Amino acid sequence: MFSVNNKKKKIGALILLSMIGMLLLLPFAQMDVSAQGKEEAAAEESAEPAEGEIGSKGKDKQYGGVNEFGIVSGPPAPEMVYPDSYGSYGDYQSRTLLWVSNQQHLYFGSFVLAVPMFVFVMELIGATQKDRKVGKKFDDLAHEMMKISLTAYSVTAILGGILIFTFLALYPGFFGYLASIFKPVMHIYALLFILESGVLYVYYYGWDAMNDGNGNWKWTHLGISCILNAIGIVLMVMANTWIGFMMSPAGVDESGRFLGDIWKVIHTPLMVPIVIHRILGNAAFGGGVVGAYAAFRFLSSKTLEEKAHYDWMSYIAMFMGILNLIPLPFAGYWLMREIYAYRQQMGITLMGGLLAWVFIMQATMIATLFITVNYYLFQAMGRMPGAERYYPAFKFLLAILVISTISWLTPHTLVMTPAELKAMGGQQHPVVGNYGVMSAKNTAINTMITTTVLTFCLYQRANRIITVPWAWKGNCFLILLFAMAWVNILFLGIYGYFIPANVRIGLSVPQVVSTLTTLFVGVAVNTKMLKGSKEVAPIRWGQMSVRGAYALFLLAVAFTWTMAVMGYLRSSVRLHWHVNEIMRDNSPWAFTNPLGYAGNINSMNVLLFWTMLLFVFWLSSLAAKKAPSKVTADAGEAVPAASH
Amino acid sequence: MFNIRKKTMLTQVLFLLLALPVVSWAGGGATGFIDAGTFALVIEVGLVLGAIFLGWIVKHKMGITIPKLLQAPILYILAYINFRVILQPPIPFSLLAMYMGVCTLVILCYCTITTESWEAFSGPIASMLRDDHTKAKMSRYATFLILPGLIAAQTYNTMLPKFGEPIELRTVHPAPPASINVHKKLVTLQTAENPFRVGDDGEYLKVGDESKYFGGNSWTGDVPRFLQEVREGGVVFFGTAGCFFCHGDNLDGRGPFSFAFNPIPANFADPGTIAQLQETFVFWRVAKGGPDLSREAFPWASAMPPWEKHLTTNEIWKVIVFEYWHTGFFPRTWG
Repeated sequence: MFSVNNKKKKIGALILLSMIGMLLLLPFAQMDVSAQGKEEAAAEESAEPAEGEIGSKGKDKQYGGVNEFGIVSGPPAPEMVYPDSYGSYGDYQSRTLLWVSNQQHLYFGSFVLAVPMFVFVMELIGATQKDRKVGKKFDDLAHEMMKISLTAYSVTAILGGILIFTFLALYPGFFGYLASIFKPVMHIYALLFILESGVLYVYYYGWDAMNDGNGNWKWTHLGISCILNAIGIVLMVMANTWIGFMMSPAGVDESGRFLGDIWKVIHTPLMVPIVIHRILGNAAFGGGVVGAYAAFRFLSSKTLEEKAHYDWMSYIAMFMGILNLIPLPFAGYWLMREIYAYRQQMGITLMGGLLAWVFIMQATMIATLFITVNYYLFQAMGRMPGAERYYPAFKFLLAILVISTISWLTPHTLVMTPAELKAMGGQQHPVVGNYGVMSAKNTAINTMITTTVLTFCLYQRANRIITVPWAWKGNCFLILLFAMAWVNILFLGIYGYFIPANVRIGLSVPQVVSTLTTLFVGVAVNTKMLKGSKEVAPIRWGQMSVRGAYALFLLAVAFTWTMAVMGYLRSSVRLHWHVNEIMRDNSPWAFTNPLGYAGNINSMNVLLFWTMLLFVFWLSSLAAKKAPSKVTADAGEAVPAASH
Repeated sequence: MFNIRKKTMLTQVLFLLLALPVVSWAGGGATGFIDAGTFALVIEVGLVLGAIFLGWIVKHKMGITIPKLLQAPILYILAYINFRVILQPPIPFSLLAMYMGVCTLVILCYCTITTESWEAFSGPIASMLRDDHTKAKMSRYATFLILPGLIAAQTYNTMLPKFGEPIELRTVHPAPPASINVHKKLVTLQTAENPFRVGDDGEYLKVGDESKYFGGNSWTGDVPRFLQEVREGGVVFFGTAGCFFCHGDNLDGRGPFSFAFNPIPANFADPGTIAQLQETFVFWRVAKGGPDLSREAFPWASAMPPWEKHLTTNEIWKVIVFEYWHTGFFPRTWG
């Protein structure tokens, strides 16, 4: 039972918290004072300031209607001149250095923000389990992940420092401008980090002290987890506002003068879809990395008990990752729609023009993710007695996935020699050219997701014999549900070729609804059917094939590669702008990289991240060696169906 | 037992499946009922179904089990034949490499999908590597001779100087500028509308609503306003500008001059061209042509003249109305 008996400690903690709170409020107080000061100054000066001067009326670059005008509160964006506005280390590309440091910070930042989300869910499941033994398994899993996150947290802070230094050393003019725009919230951002650290340490170090199963202190601990996640999300949103501003600036006039309203700077046209996409992406990435950690420990475990524990952990992590991966393409689709609506040029550059091939790389990665998930589930069924009856279905599921993949990654713009172009008789191929457009892509991704859901349903029932009296009806319903979903997705995909683009975009909604219906209704009916089912034999945890563990590694690497590719894509779409249409990049590195170079740097980023992360995993395994009693899983013990 | 009656029946079904493409060709492809793309697609589907059916007969009816280690190369070769030979016109090497990459991954998944299939697949390889009997030894020697030989050949081939044309990543639809000046008037491409997209009431016709005019005869006396604009656009296409010389009578990019160009002119009948673009994009491309392609439009392979020098702004808008009407596509909108 947790108890604070030291009164002084309690008072000290309260004083510290109050100080942090006051510091957080400081910028607001400063803003009020400055506003008041401005009013007074305005009253003193009878003459109206000239257009563009501080205090004059400025027209917002983005906002219209009643929000169209604001008071000019800052200087215009400086014109960048090379080499005066830039720093460099010899002849090496400054942009690449910044790219690498940014990507590494983002990887670790995503990891330390995603793991608490994952941990919260695990701890909550653990606390709500009636069976305390199962509850403890979830609790131990959550605690173990938090331990890794804590090591990664310090790496994130170091990488954050490196990123700031890189900005200051190589892009001082650009960084100075952004800092001047975001000045009212930068302070809050920095202080939130302190608060995050404080809450994180209380959360982690208070784990054992507050762990009374599912009692009051456990719920308090979960409450702290909630606060930790809330702060993490706010931090992530604040970091995203910078990139939102760089892509679609608002709250400033045409020349980049700040118009006094920080909310407009934050709430840019692309901010919300970017944030939603990022949260889902982070959560999926977190699941992937935890899965890779579990796979690492599974492969390096010496005893069956340990193997069983990490086999189970990898399954849970993979499940969490996929749960967030499934809505991700739809969030991405929404983001792209908003980008097109914001600037047609940006949308075309991304999806049909200069950067279209980067999307093909992304498509390859997404397809790899779904094939790998299915492959993992096939392997996982290998340790479930009774799953043999579903083996013949595997190759057909794989066939659906491969056909969808081929359609999904067929480019609209083909890379070819002039001779190949001549032989093909035109830029578009009469057969595969049909797969290069959005109708085909939507159909492919929805089919892949629906297939994955079906594989999961088979996994759920692999070692069970359904005993409910309505089993026959239930099976017929499920067959009908999946068949209708596929037919609907395919029909709408084909129909999309014959209707206007705006209606075609709308068709993605019923396609998604079909997919999500299989996910929610299909899985719900399947789970209901499994209630009271007879177990053929318990799941043989720890006896999954090593191929399954390697598949989890591939899954996690594909996640990180996708993040690298898409981050590069999102950043590159600004082309020669630091801040779109406001601040031009006049450095020698303002050109768009060749695909090969971008691919190499992305691969290097992935490799670097995994090298550092494997080191973190290794550190964690050292700690585990000192405390082997932490592993509590029972070999060969089945986890109840609810955890599937 | 696989009796004669069943065998005859199965052969007939298989024949029908394989005959499907031929039937469709006779009934559709040859008469123009279906286009070349659909025709090729039907052939693809027919062959895949036929191959699956054949495999089923071989395994379940004839009782012949092909070893897993052999299944992999067979599947690989079949996939290669499909993408290289059957799929016509030939696809570029870059796409072939992507498709074969996916096939490699999936065939590997297929061979290792269960523990049994993994053992069946890897067993002979393990036996070749570690067993001592003559067959294994001979296989081992052959493998260790052939493998380095293949690698050497590949290295030699890679190192060999090549004089072929380099591949081009052509940006077919580059991002347009925010606005353009045509005949001294500023046209903002994000928001501009085609002034000749009008309904019977003279109001702007919402994209999609023009479908009621598709297939209509624009040459009769009392035609709706929209079809009048289509007709005038057609006059520009076939007369004033002579677009058909390059883009073809059917707007499929196969005009009499087209084969003098590489790439041949844009095929408007393909769902990947004007159907994906806003009318203002097409306006920009017609008005400014190849010379005004943006920097990202590498390698600027366009022989399109800047038609603003020969046509009026109205004529350009009208010919765009005609192009969409003729192909039955709708311009992209975001509303």
